[in-house]
Amino acid sequence: MGGFASLGINLPLLVVFVVNFIILFVLLRLFLFKPVLKMLDERAARTREAMELAEATKKEFEQARETVEKQIEKGRQEAQAIIAQAVQVGERLKEESRQEARKQAQAIVDRTRAELEAERDKILGDLRREFVDIAIAAAEKVIKETLDKEKHRKLIEETLRESITFKKS
Amino acid sequence: MEKGSSRSKILIFFFIPVLVLFGVGLVFGPLGSSFLGRTPPSIFQVPRPTVELPAEPVFHVSHFSITNTLLASWLTILVLAVLFFVLTRKMKLIPGRRQAAAEAIVEGLLNFVKSVAGEKHARMIFPGVAVIFIYVIANAYLGLLPFFGSVGVIEHGGKFAPLFRAANTDLNVPLSIAIMSFIFVESWGMRALGVSHYLGEFINVGQMLTGLKELLKGKIGQGVMNVAFGFINLFVGVLEIFSHLIRMLSFTFRLFGNMTAGEILILVSSFLIPLAFSIPFYGLELLIGLIQALIFSGLTLVFATIAVSPHEETE
Repeated sequence: MGGFASLGINLPLLVVFVVNFIILFVLLRLFLFKPVLKMLDERAARTREAMELAEATKKEFEQARETVEKQIEKGRQEAQAIIAQAVQVGERLKEESRQEARKQAQAIVDRTRAELEAERDKILGDLRREFVDIAIAAAEKVIKETLDKEKHRKLIEETLRESITFKKS
Repeated sequence: MEKGSSRSKILIFFFIPVLVLFGVGLVFGPLGSSFLGRTPPSIFQVPRPTVELPAEPVFHVSHFSITNTLLASWLTILVLAVLFFVLTRKMKLIPGRRQAAAEAIVEGLLNFVKSVAGEKHARMIFPGVAVIFIYVIANAYLGLLPFFGSVGVIEHGGKFAPLFRAANTDLNVPLSIAIMSFIFVESWGMRALGVSHYLGEFINVGQMLTGLKELLKGKIGQGVMNVAFGFINLFVGVLEIFSHLIRMLSFTFRLFGNMTAGEILILVSSFLIPLAFSIPFYGLELLIGLIQALIFSGLTLVFATIAVSPHEETE
C-alpha cells in the first residue's frame, strides 16, 4: 500500500468521505429533491386536472347546446302543429257558424214568409168581404131593386172566388 | 451611443487596470526577474509553489487527522445544505425566484437523466446522479474561492498547511464518489432486474450445468458444446466484474487528475507572473469543474442505464 499512501489514499479518511457523501445525499434528498419533485409532480397533476376539466366542460357545453337545439327544434315543430290545429279548428268553427247563420236566416225567411202569407190571407179576406159589401151596395144602387140578399151574396162570392183563384193561379 | 459609452467604461475601468497589473506582474514577478537577472522586489516574492498530493492534516483528533480537504468537503456540504434549505423553504405552486432557481436545477438534472435513462427508471436513478453532479461541481467551484489554499496553519517543522484545499484534489474524495457511484449502479441494477437476474450476468453457470447434465446422460456432442460455451460465459462474467471495478479507478483518476492539474496550473501561473495573469485560468477552471461534474454524473448515468436495461438488449 506504499504507492497508494503516497498518493494520499487513507482508509479512515476514505470512510469519512463516503460517510460525507451519504450525509450530503440524505440532506439533498431532504432539502432539494423531495420538496421540488413533489412540487413539480403536483404542478403537473394540477395542469393535467385543469386540462381534463376544460375538456369535460367543453364536452358538457357541446351536449347542452345539442339538447337546447333539439328542444328548440321540438318546440318549433310543436308550435307548427298547434298552429295547424288552430287553423283547422278555425276553419271548422267558421264553417259551423256559417251553417248556423244560414239556418237562422232560412228560419227567419220562412217565418217571415209564413207571416206575410197569413197577413195577405187576412187582408185578402177583409178585402173580399168589403168588396162584396161594396159590390152589393153598388148593385143595390144600380138595380134599385131589392134582390134576395142572400142569393146575391152567394152569387157574388162565387164569382169572386172564381176570380181570386184565377188571380192566384 | 449609450452602448458605446458603457463599452468604453468597461475598457477603462476593467481591462486597463488588468493590463497594467499584468504588465507589472510580468516585469517584476519571478519570470521577468529571472530574465532581467535581478531579484524581484520583496512584495512580489511569492513563495515557491509546492505540490502536495496527499491532503495535509490540519489538526488531529486522537489518532485521526482532520485534513484540509475534509474541512473543504464539510464546507461544501454545509453550503449546499444551507443553500437548498433556503431555496426550498416555502414551496408554492407559483414559484418565487428562489424556488424557481431550485426547480430549474432539479428539473434540468431530471431531464438530463430522463433523456438518457428513459421515463421508466428516471425517478430511481435521478437522486444519485444529481448528488454526484452537485457535489463534484460544488467542490470544484468552492475550491476556486480566495481563502482556499492561502489561509492556513504552519505545521511543526515549519511546513505550511492550508486550512482549505479543493476537495476533489484529494484522491480519497473522487474514490469515495466512485465507490458510491459503483454502489448506486449495482443496487439500481438489482432493483430494476431483480437480484438473481442481475447477478446472473456475472456468474453465468446455467449453460455449463446443462452441458454437464447432457454429458452424464450420454449426449456427448451437445454436451461438449454446451460445456465449452459455458466456460466462455464464465469468462465473460469475470470480465464484466472487472470492467465494473475498473470503472471506479477510471472515475477516480479522471476527476483527481483534472482537478489537481487545474490547481497546479493556477498555482504555477500565479507564481510565474503574479497579480492578473491567473484570471483566465480561473475561467478555464470554472469550465473544467462543470465538465468534470457532467462527466462523472453522466458516466454514472450511462452505466446505470446499461445496468437497469435487461441483458438481452445489452449483449
